[in-house]
Amino acid sequence: MTPPTTTAGGARPEVSYRAKDETGGLERVYVWDAVVRLTHWIIMLAILIQAVTGIYIGRPFFIPAGAEDQQFVMGTMKVVHSYTAIVFTLAVLVRVGWMFVGSYYARWHQFVPASARRRRDVWSMLKFYTFLSREPPLNVGHNPLAGLTYLLVFALYFTMIVTGLALYSVGAGVSYMKMWDFLLPILGGAQTARWIHHIAMWLLLGFFAHHIWSAILVSRSEGHGLIDSMFSGYKFLPRSWRKRDE
Amino acid sequence: MDGPTSDLCRELEARGVSRREFLGFCSAMAVMIGLPKSAAAAIADALENKPKPTLVWLEFQDCAGNTESFLRSSKPSAAEVVLDLLSIDYHETIMAAAGHRAEEALESVVKNKQGQYIAVVEGSIPTGANGAYCTIGGKSALQIANEVCSNAAAVIAVGTCATFGGLPAASPNPTGALGVADAVPGIKTQINLSACPVNAENLTATVVYFLTYGRWPATDALNRPLFAYGKSIHDNCERRAHYDSGQYVEQWGDEAHRQGHCLYKMGCKGPVSFQNCPNVGWNDNTSWPIACGHGCIGCAEPDFWDKMTPFYAHLPGFPGFGKASNIDKVGFWGTVGVAAAFGTHTLIHLGKKLVGSGGEDKPADPTKGSEGGDA
Repeated sequence: MTPPTTTAGGARPEVSYRAKDETGGLERVYVWDAVVRLTHWIIMLAILIQAVTGIYIGRPFFIPAGAEDQQFVMGTMKVVHSYTAIVFTLAVLVRVGWMFVGSYYARWHQFVPASARRRRDVWSMLKFYTFLSREPPLNVGHNPLAGLTYLLVFALYFTMIVTGLALYSVGAGVSYMKMWDFLLPILGGAQTARWIHHIAMWLLLGFFAHHIWSAILVSRSEGHGLIDSMFSGYKFLPRSWRKRDE
Repeated sequence: MDGPTSDLCRELEARGVSRREFLGFCSAMAVMIGLPKSAAAAIADALENKPKPTLVWLEFQDCAGNTESFLRSSKPSAAEVVLDLLSIDYHETIMAAAGHRAEEALESVVKNKQGQYIAVVEGSIPTGANGAYCTIGGKSALQIANEVCSNAAAVIAVGTCATFGGLPAASPNPTGALGVADAVPGIKTQINLSACPVNAENLTATVVYFLTYGRWPATDALNRPLFAYGKSIHDNCERRAHYDSGQYVEQWGDEAHRQGHCLYKMGCKGPVSFQNCPNVGWNDNTSWPIACGHGCIGCAEPDFWDKMTPFYAHLPGFPGFGKASNIDKVGFWGTVGVAAAFGTHTLIHLGKKLVGSGGEDKPADPTKGSEGGDA
């Protein structure tokens, strides 16, 4: 087993990279820049807050006793939900913009499997998840299947934002929020918008469960500090691996 | 008061409606359309002196509920007189003429007053079986609507059937029913007054607006006047304080229901329905659905029979799980399922790894090659 090297002249070598290619030792590679990490955690927190308040708004499970002018439970939930939605929307927009101006591993090609190798690795990753292979394909940034999944997740984010704006426009008091009511007929009415908003939330929560488990699983399988990297920005990779993507 | 000076004044007198009552009606109309009270004088002037447009009232696939709503005032009111004074040349339910005479009246309006009359349409228009599901005087509803509506100065669709198809168009829509705008494309001016039935107050206010200003009120994306459909039921609801504080009826007849708390959890569609019911009320403002302790069913919204059902549930069901299924329950168990699947996946993975590496939880031996453990 020899550590992979790039051939002179810059042509990409057809080398099979494996988790065991660690004989050359590990190096600390800066993968996730500050914007990627910040938006990741802001979006996660925003989704959790919105899921909790949103589930209450959809099905108010707690009913306070006493005079109605002494309580503001639903009102508070809606205020928190709406303000968090602003943070969430801005964070998503920043992250999507960052796909075009950010650092290498923040860019759109990490999500869209545009190259043949990334398309191939989508299947390798599926094989790994279905126990058909023991080795996850190794990538410095997102593995291509994960990148593809995150594209769907971003589609869900936009579904939430669009239906949320439409639903907010129903009772909006200011013109720049009221104007979003043009979305209502497009979405098939407010009731259907609500219904889509609920489905998208459960899909996001389903993704949330999947994301945590697969992050733990892949982190353990790869052994490169995947979860830590979302805090520090650094992965620990076998030497010269990063050349694979550059 | 001097002798009556116009048809309207004579008619008011004959019906025993006082001048004071008439002016009160004009003020109410001004407020309803969203004008200052001073506009009442302009309204009174227009109603008394301007020539009345000819109006024909077409009924297609309907239950005559809109006609009933419009005719059933508890006493002869100023509104009724105003509407009566519109020259109603054709209205199947209330006209004296019958048979060929009735059809002649309609034909003469279309021929002689082309582009000048108002067509009010009640009921949906069936397009299935070449329109055979609804024929009047040997013509299909579609033919009549095409002739009458495309030659009218304006079309007012009253009730949800005429505006969006309503109950006849509900799935599976056996007659291929359509609302007027869909059945007769190319109508230049159409005002939609949805609701099941139309609120007579909104019809009156729309007509009064037209008589006063010679144009139609501003409308939303669905061509409904903003003065009547600009706000959701929820935003004007008298039980809104209970909604915001979190006090909900959870069962018909429970203590919260008796106290008049919010009907949100009983499937009230007020938050997603637009109309002025809370302000204007029904039956001379004696009541309206939520005031009687029943949630809104969203009757003024497109496809309400398909989209707002089940009426006593917050949301429609999930496809494949039945109409009464709860999308949040499906979603919850789906999420639990995903979590369980990945938990199991990890357990299998760890199990395989433990077996493969002889029970020791350590990174695989790099010298073992691709057949080695993988953690």
